[in-house]
Order: sequence, then C-alpha cells, then structure tokens
Amino acid sequence: MKRIASWLLGTVTAVTLLFGYHTSTSGPATASDTVVATPAAPQDTGSSGSGTSGSTSTSSGSTSSGTASTVTGSVASTRWGPVQVSITVTDGKITAVDVPQYPTGNGKDRQINASALPILTKETLSAQSADIDMVSGATVTSEGYVHSLQSALDQASL
Amino acid sequence: MTATLPARRYVEHVMGMPISLALRGRHTDDTPAVTAWTAALAELRRADRVFSTYRADSAISRLGRGEITLADCPPQVAEVLALGEAAERDSGGAFAVRRGGVLDPSGVVKGWAAERGATHLAALPGTDFCLSAGGDLTCHTVDPTGPPWRIGIEDPHDPTRLVAVVPVHTGAVATSGTARRGAHILDARTGRPPTGIASVTVIGPSLTAADIDATAAFALGPDAVRWLRSRGHTALVVDADGATTLVQTTPAAPRRA
Repeated sequence: MKRIASWLLGTVTAVTLLFGYHTSTSGPATASDTVVATPAAPQDTGSSGSGTSGSTSTSSGSTSSGTASTVTGSVASTRWGPVQVSITVTDGKITAVDVPQYPTGNGKDRQINASALPILTKETLSAQSADIDMVSGATVTSEGYVHSLQSALDQASL
Repeated sequence: MTATLPARRYVEHVMGMPISLALRGRHTDDTPAVTAWTAALAELRRADRVFSTYRADSAISRLGRGEITLADCPPQVAEVLALGEAAERDSGGAFAVRRGGVLDPSGVVKGWAAERGATHLAALPGTDFCLSAGGDLTCHTVDPTGPPWRIGIEDPHDPTRLVAVVPVHTGAVATSGTARRGAHILDARTGRPPTGIASVTVIGPSLTAADIDATAAFALGPDAVRWLRSRGHTALVVDADGATTLVQTTPAAPRRA
C-alpha cells in the first residue's frame, strides 16, 4: 500500500508543474471511478451481441508476501465485449492478473485503411466496435490503469 | 479475439504510470525483444532519477535549489530545459517549466523519455512496436504499407469509449486533458485551469513534440484549435461540452477497404 502511495507521488511528479488537484466533482461524470468488487453485468453488450456475463474466472489467491496489493477495475467495454480486470501489484510490478469478466464475443473487425498516415478518422466510435491496438488518453496513473480501456485491451488480447 | 495482427504485449509501471508495449513481427517474446523492452524501461527509470521533483537528490531538484549549475547536470537536463523554454515561447507562456520560482520540466520529460526508450525498440530488426507511456505513445511499422497500429483516442467524458481512431504506421500520438483522477493542467499565464476544453490529442512524427504541444494547446483553452492549426498539427480537440474539432492541415480522406 505504501508502494502505491509512492507511485501516486511519482505520478504527481510526472505530471507536475502544470497539474494540480481539483476536488470538485461538478465536472462531467466519469464512468469508471468506482472500484467494482464483484463482476457486474455488462450494461452495454455492444455490436458483438453475445455479451456473456457468466465467464467468471476464479482468482487463485496466489499472493506474494509483503507489499502486494490487488485492485479490481470496473467493467470496460472492448471490441471483444465487456472486460473486467483485477491486477496484483508487488514492488512496482504487475505480478498477477485476473480477468473476472472475460469477453466471448467476437467483434466484427472493421478495417480502415489510410492512404497517407497519420490520419485521424473523424468518427465517433464506441470502444467495442473499434479494432484498436492502444489507447491515447489524458495521463493515466498506475492506480487509474486498472479502470482503463488500455488495461482491458492489454489483457483481452493476450 | 481476432486482432488485426497478433501482438505480444508487455506492461510495467515506471514514474507512476503504466508503460504498455505491443510488439509484432520477428522479435516479440525472445531474448532480443525482452532485452530491448528492459532497455526501454531503464531509459524511463533513468529519466525519473534525473528529473523527479519528488526526489530531493535528483539533478533537477538540486538545480532548482541552486545547489548545482546546469554545467554540473547530465547533458539531458539542458536538452529538456531547452525544449521547455521553446514550448513556453511558442505557447505565449501558457506552457512553462518554471513557475513561482519552482523548476519543474515534467511537462516535457514524459514524452521525451518515452521517445528515448523507444529507440531501443526501433533497433529490433523486422519488428513493429507501439510503446505507450501513460496514454502518450509512439509507434513504428517495418512495412510502411502494411497494417498500421490502430490508436483509439479516449473520450475524456467517458474513458470506456473512444472519440476517434488513428491508424499510425510510424509516428506519435499524445493526449493531454483533464485527467480522470481529478488532476488538471494549469494555464501558466493565469495559474488557473483552462476553460471550455476537455482534451487535446496531437498526432505527429515526434512524441516529444506531440506531448509538449498537446499540453500547451490544452493550457491555451479556447485558443487551442487556432494555435494547433498555426503549428501545422494534425490534432483532435474535445470541448468541455463534448464537441470535437478535427485539425488537419494536410487533408487526405481515409479510404475504406
């Protein structure tokens, strides 16, 4: 836990100077701020259709001793379907990954070929319909990572 | 589970953020791949040791306190500070590495360090990579006509959704905005957060430049689109009300397969 606290400090370091904390909650609602302790039903089954929620893998309690800490993320929609990720971190490294909710649907891949790159496709896409390799977003902290689409992507495509 | 191309993925946490790597091609999980990944991470950790303002003994902290001079610092410090000063000039002071007497080039270091780390991955023969440092990333494909890396741009109002997808063969994508954990970027001219803007994504050849300019544009708030256009960037700006503006100075329509 100490370790996580020190990462957060590190995060502040990384983003520093130009960043500050704001305590206001009046901004746009962020969907994934809450830690979900149990697999939640997918709210959005997306285009893949087969949003099975029952593929719950049991996380074996293989905890390393000492500074291990486990965080469970909220359910994220990916192009494969809903994914939930639980990550155990020990000494700054991810030592265990569980996927309490795993997608079984096979999203229809959509190819967009570009003649000249980089090109921004001006489309609004839901994550589960997009065939993507990586996510670019505002500074993701180590703590926020488990809630992120990037973490779902990393795990879902392993 | 059908990806465009199967990619081997790695994740580690450095400088308080997740570093994600995807590799595809000749070296994805063999010794050269792991060696390159280790070297990339070492580059990021080295940058953290030199530039961390949370380490009292870092060169940047000692320089900030006036205990040492620039000449005493590793040469990278001068390089980073020069980048910061250029950004401050280019943004009319909205971006700054020195404010209220505090020296803090962190707004430069992240993209710069990741770009340095990526040089180790670029040395892998016959191998495509996409390296992300906390949502800012740089990609390379060996075959410039092959399948690109496909980068989703996160919706700042709903991190489980995307506002756009960018196919990138070789280049960088950096996004600055209201971080989802509540932190925000300040306009250094006023010391206050910019208004009306939710995120800025810059796409370009250099991650260092893309990261700096995404942050500077975000700090400029209402002037972001005009400024990005004047800089000749390809960029996407998402307003606080959810409206998106595409900045593309070299328009080329995407072609559907």
